Amino acid sequence: MKILVVDDDLHIQRLYKEEFEDEGYEVVVASNGQEAIEMFEKEVPDIVTLDILLPDVDGIRILRQMKEKNPKIPIIMSTAYDYRDDFAVWASEAYIVKSSDMDELKAMIKKLLSK
Amino acid sequence: MDAANSQKFTEVIFTNMRDGIVTLDRDFRIVSANESIQRWAGRPAADLINRDSREVFHKVSQICPHCAALPAFETGEITTVTQKSGNQGTPIYAELSVYPVRNERGEVAECIVFIQDITDRMLCHDEVLRLYSEMTQTKEYLESIIEHSADGIVTSDLNGIITSWNKGAERIYGFTKKEALGQFLPFVPEFLMETEWENNRKMRNGEVLERIETFRKRKDGTIISVSLTLSPIKNAVGEIIGISGISRDISEKKNVEKELIRRNQELSRLFFISSAMRGTLDLDRVLRMVLTAVTMGDGLGFNRAILFLVDEEKNILRAAMGVGPASYEEAFHVWEKLSLEKKTLSDIMQEIAVGLTRKDSFFDRLSHSIEIPLTEDTSLTRAVKEQKAFNIDDVGKEPLSDAVLIQQLGTRAFAAVPLISRNKVIGVLWVDNYFNNRAITEEDMRFLTAFSNHVASAIENARLFERVKLAEQELENIFESISDMVYFVTEDYVVKNINQAVSKRLGKSPEEIIGKKCYEIFHGMHQPWAACPHQKTVERREAFVQEVEDSHMGGTFITSSSPIFDITGKFMGTVHVVSDITELKNLRERVIKTERMAALGEVAARVAHEIRNPLVSLGGFARRLEKKLNGSMKEYADIIAKEVGRLEDILNEILSFVKETRIQKECVAAQKLMEDVISLVRSEIDDRGIALVREFGDPIELYVDPNRVKDALLNIVKNAIQALENTGTISLRIYRKDKTCILEISDTGPGIAEEDLPFIFDPFYTTKKAGTGLGLTITHRIIEEHDGRIEVESKAGKGSIFRVVIPIKEL
Repeated sequence: MKILVVDDDLHIQRLYKEEFEDEGYEVVVASNGQEAIEMFEKEVPDIVTLDILLPDVDGIRILRQMKEKNPKIPIIMSTAYDYRDDFAVWASEAYIVKSSDMDELKAMIKKLLSK
Repeated sequence: MDAANSQKFTEVIFTNMRDGIVTLDRDFRIVSANESIQRWAGRPAADLINRDSREVFHKVSQICPHCAALPAFETGEITTVTQKSGNQGTPIYAELSVYPVRNERGEVAECIVFIQDITDRMLCHDEVLRLYSEMTQTKEYLESIIEHSADGIVTSDLNGIITSWNKGAERIYGFTKKEALGQFLPFVPEFLMETEWENNRKMRNGEVLERIETFRKRKDGTIISVSLTLSPIKNAVGEIIGISGISRDISEKKNVEKELIRRNQELSRLFFISSAMRGTLDLDRVLRMVLTAVTMGDGLGFNRAILFLVDEEKNILRAAMGVGPASYEEAFHVWEKLSLEKKTLSDIMQEIAVGLTRKDSFFDRLSHSIEIPLTEDTSLTRAVKEQKAFNIDDVGKEPLSDAVLIQQLGTRAFAAVPLISRNKVIGVLWVDNYFNNRAITEEDMRFLTAFSNHVASAIENARLFERVKLAEQELENIFESISDMVYFVTEDYVVKNINQAVSKRLGKSPEEIIGKKCYEIFHGMHQPWAACPHQKTVERREAFVQEVEDSHMGGTFITSSSPIFDITGKFMGTVHVVSDITELKNLRERVIKTERMAALGEVAARVAHEIRNPLVSLGGFARRLEKKLNGSMKEYADIIAKEVGRLEDILNEILSFVKETRIQKECVAAQKLMEDVISLVRSEIDDRGIALVREFGDPIELYVDPNRVKDALLNIVKNAIQALENTGTISLRIYRKDKTCILEISDTGPGIAEEDLPFIFDPFYTTKKAGTGLGLTITHRIIEEHDGRIEVESKAGKGSIFRVVIPIKEL
């Protein structure tokens, strides 16, 4: 199972990568929107964790593009701030506010992949 | 008689005679005169001797003895002339008798003239002449009258033989004078011969028959109606010798006249009653007027009357009202009272029009219970169905008689007339003469029918009015129950009408509001309020809907102002419907706030991003360490992870707190806002040597949340500072344009590329390396919250101009 982690914060990127690898997943990473789309097409992940605040294109637009390309791949919006009141995150399968406690995120991934 | 006696006798006569005597010779010289001559000559006789007669008399009495004597001197004959003297107005007549006296040669030497006053005799003669002429004229006049009279004037002897026949008789009867004279009463029809002999007998007794109406026969045999006056003719000794008859053909005239009089009476009564009825629109009063008019002696004079109205729903005729006495005693009492009080129909009508409506008579109660199904076949139902009047002179003989009327009212004869309004029978007017048993005549029926037409329209009018009144009441109810304030204001700002909501909202009674100026009442001002839509509606005669924030009433209102015109198209004022949307506004503000929170949230998001990401890495790796370490190191890692967890919780709390920030509007000068913004960036401007140009003008008061607007402006100013890579100029201008305040921020930086311009307010859109892309988004939202807008003018290499446009709310 391959997870694409999109986050411009390199430490977070690494934290996610190591944690997910410990769980037995293959992890690929992207640091901006453009890279994220490239990896999404090239690697064809089974699931994506996607940050909203990216340096080039905002995560909402990336989400839309990914869903246009392959709507079957589940995407978890993983953000530093709870945007759920402000922006529609319609197309994503799940939403989580980043936390140092990653149990919830891991459970979310497990559940989405088991479907 | 001897000579001496004769001489003496002559002398006595000569001296004492009352007539004047004068003797003239041939030269008209006065030879002798007696004393009586003084009357004619004006001086004593002695003075006259030897004077010329022509000089003496003429001057005094215009009597001339010489003129009278002249023919006697010439002819020698005795002559007599009459002379008239009219000196002092009343004429005096004198008869002059001239006696010639011959001398011995037989020539007339002298004349003796006797002057006798015959004035009395002459005047008497004149009078007789005058009378005669007058009598002749009168006779001619009378004859002319008789001859030319429009009336036929005929005389006959006592046996009926015509003795005179004028032109009028010729015209009326068709016989010429020639044909009629000598005939035996040619104009008396055979069937009246007996009556005629009876008249003849009365004439012989000296009676006069004046203006008897009878019939006569014309020459062509047609019978005509005449008015006849017969009188006996008497001869000089008072014997009756004949009969004179003056006849007038009234067959045509009689009818016309009679009709005219009747019509006139009818019309004036009808006119009066109908105008009285038209004057009132109260159905009850109209009905009472109708029935009073029908039953009063001065009106139609029936004893009792009932008005039945058609109830279409139930298909019945229902007695709406009845008027009439309950008994003979009451009838007598009422009639007596009316004649004593001398009340006319007009008095009674007036009483009904303004007095209390009473409905308490016995007869009214008696009749009130009567209902006749229209399915029955009776005179009343037929009056409705066939639109026909019925005159039932004996209920016992009439199969169509209404049993209920006979049983309940005891009527023996009655009439029923349909009330027709616009081709529809709306009811039936029923009348009878129960107490005096007077038969209802054809004329009564005619009048009743004419009357009923007026009645019907008056009743219909009253009914329509009741319906209108009801509709009006309904409208009034609606008007009053509308929870929005509804009021009518004239062109000159006077409040004319208000609903309950207005007085409730203002806490004042309608009396305190109506008639006052609307701007005083609603806005607490002393002159019209420019922001009020009423003004615009008055100017443009169109409806306006506007949101008005009114500090006097304390709230925000949607005010619609619509012009009202009367039927002639004249502008009368405006109707205002004012909804208090303060609550709605609050709700809306909450919605806006939520949106604003999103913008705020973006600031928070940035903060969160900058803090949460490091925390997550910190905590996340601490947890990994904790898993891989043992002993005290594991414990340390655990402490770090837990503390980070605590920080994350605090961050969440702070962020949720930020989201609840509220808008606080207050009055503040635009210039003050800008100064505050400048003070925040002052050090940076100074450090970088940026030139700051300010054109602020007079203070412009804005009603805004100063902190929010400052945030908005700060973002633009910061952008401007950042745009100036090294140094340059930032210009700040504040000015008023129409009803808005414009805060203009321009820089001399590189400007915004044309392709970027449409996106600069989008979230996360930035051209800066370190930008969040949220600054202008937040600015935009804040300005929108204040009903304003941002205009941007920019060209690459030429700098940018940002104009923040905020409406000025007049309070």
